[in-house]
Amino acid sequence: VIERWHREQVLALAPDPASQKAAASVAKAAKWSGGGCDERAVWGECAGSGRSRYQACVDLSEPAFRCTCPSRKFPCKHALGLLILWSDGGQVAPESTEAPDWVQEWLTRRDTRARAEPAKGPAAGSRDPKTAARREDRVASGIAELDRWLCDQVGQGLAQAEHAPYQLWDEAARRLVDAQVTGVASRMKGLAAIPRQGAGWPRRLLEEYALLHLLARAYQRLAELPVPLRETVRARVGFSVRQEEVLAGPGIEDHWYVLGAIDEEGDGLRTRRVWLRGQKTGRPALVLSFGAPGRPLDASLVPGTFVLAELAYYPGAQALRAIVASRSTSGGSTHERPAHCTVAEMLGEYATALAADPWLDRWPVVLGDVRLARGWYLVDQAGDAVPLDTDSPWRLVAASGGRPLTVAGEWTPAGLRPLSAWTDENGVIVL
Amino acid sequence: VSLAEEVATALVGTQRRAPAAVGPAGEEPAARLLGHAAMLTVAARAGWSPGTAEPIAPAPQEASQVVGARAGRRLAEILRGERIRMLPEWLVAADRRGRLVPPPLLPELLERGRSDRSLRPLIAGPAGRRGMWLAMQNPDWAYLVIDAADVWETGPRSARLTHLQRLRSTHPGAAGETLAATWQTETAQDRAAFLGVLEDGLSLADEPFLDAALDDRAKDVRQLAADLLARLPSSAYGRRMAERARACVRLLTCGGGPALFVEPPAACDAGMRRDGIPPSQGVGSLRASWLRELIARAPLTTWTEEPRTTPEQVAGYPLDDDYAAGVHTGWARAAVRQGDVAWARALLDHGGLSRRVLPVEMCGDLLSVFPERDRARRAAALLGDLPDDQDRLTVLARIPAPWSHELGETVLALLASAIREPAPGATGQRRWIVSQLCRLAADRLSTDVVARLEAVAGDDASWPLAELAATLRFRHEMLEELS
Repeated sequence: VIERWHREQVLALAPDPASQKAAASVAKAAKWSGGGCDERAVWGECAGSGRSRYQACVDLSEPAFRCTCPSRKFPCKHALGLLILWSDGGQVAPESTEAPDWVQEWLTRRDTRARAEPAKGPAAGSRDPKTAARREDRVASGIAELDRWLCDQVGQGLAQAEHAPYQLWDEAARRLVDAQVTGVASRMKGLAAIPRQGAGWPRRLLEEYALLHLLARAYQRLAELPVPLRETVRARVGFSVRQEEVLAGPGIEDHWYVLGAIDEEGDGLRTRRVWLRGQKTGRPALVLSFGAPGRPLDASLVPGTFVLAELAYYPGAQALRAIVASRSTSGGSTHERPAHCTVAEMLGEYATALAADPWLDRWPVVLGDVRLARGWYLVDQAGDAVPLDTDSPWRLVAASGGRPLTVAGEWTPAGLRPLSAWTDENGVIVL
Repeated sequence: VSLAEEVATALVGTQRRAPAAVGPAGEEPAARLLGHAAMLTVAARAGWSPGTAEPIAPAPQEASQVVGARAGRRLAEILRGERIRMLPEWLVAADRRGRLVPPPLLPELLERGRSDRSLRPLIAGPAGRRGMWLAMQNPDWAYLVIDAADVWETGPRSARLTHLQRLRSTHPGAAGETLAATWQTETAQDRAAFLGVLEDGLSLADEPFLDAALDDRAKDVRQLAADLLARLPSSAYGRRMAERARACVRLLTCGGGPALFVEPPAACDAGMRRDGIPPSQGVGSLRASWLRELIARAPLTTWTEEPRTTPEQVAGYPLDDDYAAGVHTGWARAAVRQGDVAWARALLDHGGLSRRVLPVEMCGDLLSVFPERDRARRAAALLGDLPDDQDRLTVLARIPAPWSHELGETVLALLASAIREPAPGATGQRRWIVSQLCRLAADRLSTDVVARLEAVAGDDASWPLAELAATLRFRHEMLEELS
C-alpha cells in the first residue's frame, strides 16, 4: 500500500496562501482524468479553461513537480490540486503499475540528470585542501575584523545605535559574507532590529555583541578547546559538515514528536526549522531545510505528528541539529500525548545545554500540565510560570478552556514560543 | 558587577568611561567589557528563574457535544475562506442539532463575528459555554456576552434589533412591551426598524400598538403599521377595510347568473389615508389603484360570508374587464398577507379567470402560501404552464427554499433542456437563463437531488452548472456530517 501524505503536508508545499486556495479549487475530481500513482509518482490530466488539458506529475521522492500549464508559480495549482486529491485517497489517482509514457519519460530524464549532477556540486570543490586552507585564512581575518568592529561599537558607546541606519549592520554583515563567516552574517543583519524594539534594547544589543565577541575569541583559540566544542564553534562560525559525514555517524532511532516548524526568509533564502523530541530518548533535535523564495521547503515532517525515524546528529558539544537518516512510516496517532516535563526540568535541561553550547538561544520544549495565566504565561502544577512569546494566544486559550494542557514550543530568552499543543479533548492542535 | 552596570557603561562607551570588569592584562577596555557581559548573559540565561502567575478560571463544562471530526474539518475550511458564504448555514445546521464548534476554531469564528454583524446571532448557540467564556477574556469579542437588558437600553441599533428579534421569537408579548416602553424616545428610523420585528409572531395582541402607530409622525412607520394590520383580518382595521371594499364591489345576479359590479372609490379620504392607502401610486388610474389597495387590505372573508360562497366561485364571477386585473391582484395580495391557502388555490386554478389577468409575479408570490410539499407540486404545475423561460425565472425567484420533490425535478429538467438544446440564434439568452437559474438554485435547490444534478451537469463542466453542482455537493456533505 502506498502511503499518502496529509493534506497539511501538501498545502505546506504551496509557495503562498493564494496558491493554497487556487489548488483547493482545482482539487475537484470532475476536472481530472487519466490519473494514477505508484510508489514514486502521482500523475493526472486536468481540464483547464477552454479546450486545454494540462498534464501534471509529481515525483514524491523529492518532491519535484512538472506541469504543462504556463503558470509561473511553482509548484503550480494543478500539481498541488492533484496532490490534494491524491492525499484524500479518492479515485482520481488510483494505484497503478503502469505510468503513462509522458510520466515515464520525465522520470527517466530526472534520473539521468541526477546521475550527472553530483560530479560538479559545490561540495566536491570544497574538498580541495588548498581551497579549504584559503577559506580558513579568510575566516580568521573576518573573525578578527568582527571582534575589532564589536570593540569599536562598545568603545564609542551603544547609544549611537539607537539612531543608526540599517547600513551599520548591513555593512558589517556584508564583510562577514565576503570573509565566508556565513554563520554570523545573517545574525548580524538581524541585530539592526534590536534598537527599534523599544525599552530594554541596550541590554539585548549588548548581550548579542557579547556573545559574538565570545564566539570570535573561541574561534581564535580553537586549538585549546575540546573537540566537541570546537565543532560547535566552527558550525556557529559557518563551516558546514557534509551530509555524508553526518550520516556516517551513529543514528538515534526513536518515535519523534514534531513540535512545529518555523519558516524564515531573508537574503534570498528561505529557512525552515523543524523541532523534534524523541518519545523514548527524550532527545531534542532540529532539522533545517533551505530553499529559494517561492520554492517549496521540505514538508516531510508534519507538525503535530509522530515520525518513526533514525536521526543522525551533526557533531558538536550539544547535539541538536540533525538529519533524517531513515524513516519507516510518517504520521502517527495525533491522539498520543507527547513526552513532556515541568518548568523546572525544562530550565535545568536548558542550563545544562547552555553549559555545552553558550550560544544556544533556541531550545525545543514540551511542557506538561500547564495552565494559562493572563499576561500571558504558562503555569505548571508546581506554580512555576514562564512567559509566552506570542501575539495570538487565543487558539491556545480556547483549546485549553482554562484547564491544564501540554504545550510544545521554542524556548528563547524572550519566553516560550508555542508551536503545538495537546489536550485530552482535542488531541493535537498545531498553532 | 551586574549586567545592568555593564550596559550603562557600554551605552556611554568605554572610550569615555572605564568598565568596572577586570580582565586579562593587556586587554583593551571594550574587549574586557564584552567578555564579562558574555559571561553574565549566559549565566542569566542558565540561571533564569520562573515567576508566579494566577491561572485563568476554567470554562464551565459543556452541556452539549462538539461536532464530529469531519464536520470540524469542514468548518475549519470554511473559516479559512473556502466557501465562506456557507458559514451561516453551517452554524444554523449545527445549532439545530444542538452541536458545538470545536474549541480550537472558536477564535477564528469570533473574529468573523466581529467583522460581520449578521453572523452574531448565529454564533452564540454553536459557540457554547466555551465560546462565552472565551469572549469574556477578549474585549474584541464582547459582543457575544453583553447583557441583554443593557443592550436594549444602551446598545447600537443592530444589537438592539437582534435582541428584539430574539425576544420576539421566544416571548412575543414581552417583545411588544419592551418596544412600547421606549417607543416615544426612538428616532423615526429606529421605530421603523423595530416595528418590522413584529411581523414575526404577529397576533391580535399587537393591534392596539399598531393602531396607535397609524398616527405616527413618520410616514414609513405609519405605512408599516398599516401593512402589518392588513395581516390581521379580524382587527378593527380589517373591519374598516371590509366595509370600504364592500361598497366598491357588489355581487349582483342578473340574467346570466351572478356577476361582480365594480365601482372604484371616488376619492382617497382621510380615513383611507390613515389606514395606509397611498393617495397616489404607480401608473394607471388613481381610482383603480385605490380599489386594488382596498381589496388587498380587506379580510378575504368579506367575499365569502354574505352570501355564503367559496373562493373558487368568487374568483370565477365575471366582472368589468377594466377592473379584473385590479380586483384579482388585490385578492392575491390579500391571500399572501393573510396566508390563505384556499384563496391561493382558487386564484392559481388552471384555466381560471385569475390566471389570465394576474401578473406572473403575483402567481409566484401566491405559491409561498402553501405548505412545502403542496407548494412543490403546484409550482411544478405552474412552471409547466408558462410559455417562456423568462417567466419561469420570475416565478422561481419568488419560491422560497427548499426546492424539493416535484419542484426539484422540474428545475433539473429545465436545466437539462437549457444546456442540451441551445436555441439557434439565442445562445446568449440561453446562457443568461442558465446562469440565473443556477444562481437561484444554489441557495434553494434541495440537496436530495445532488446526484441527479451531477449527472445532468455531467460532461458539461461549464462554469455556472459545475459551480452549482459543487455548491450542492458541499452542502449535502456538510449536512450529512452534522447529522
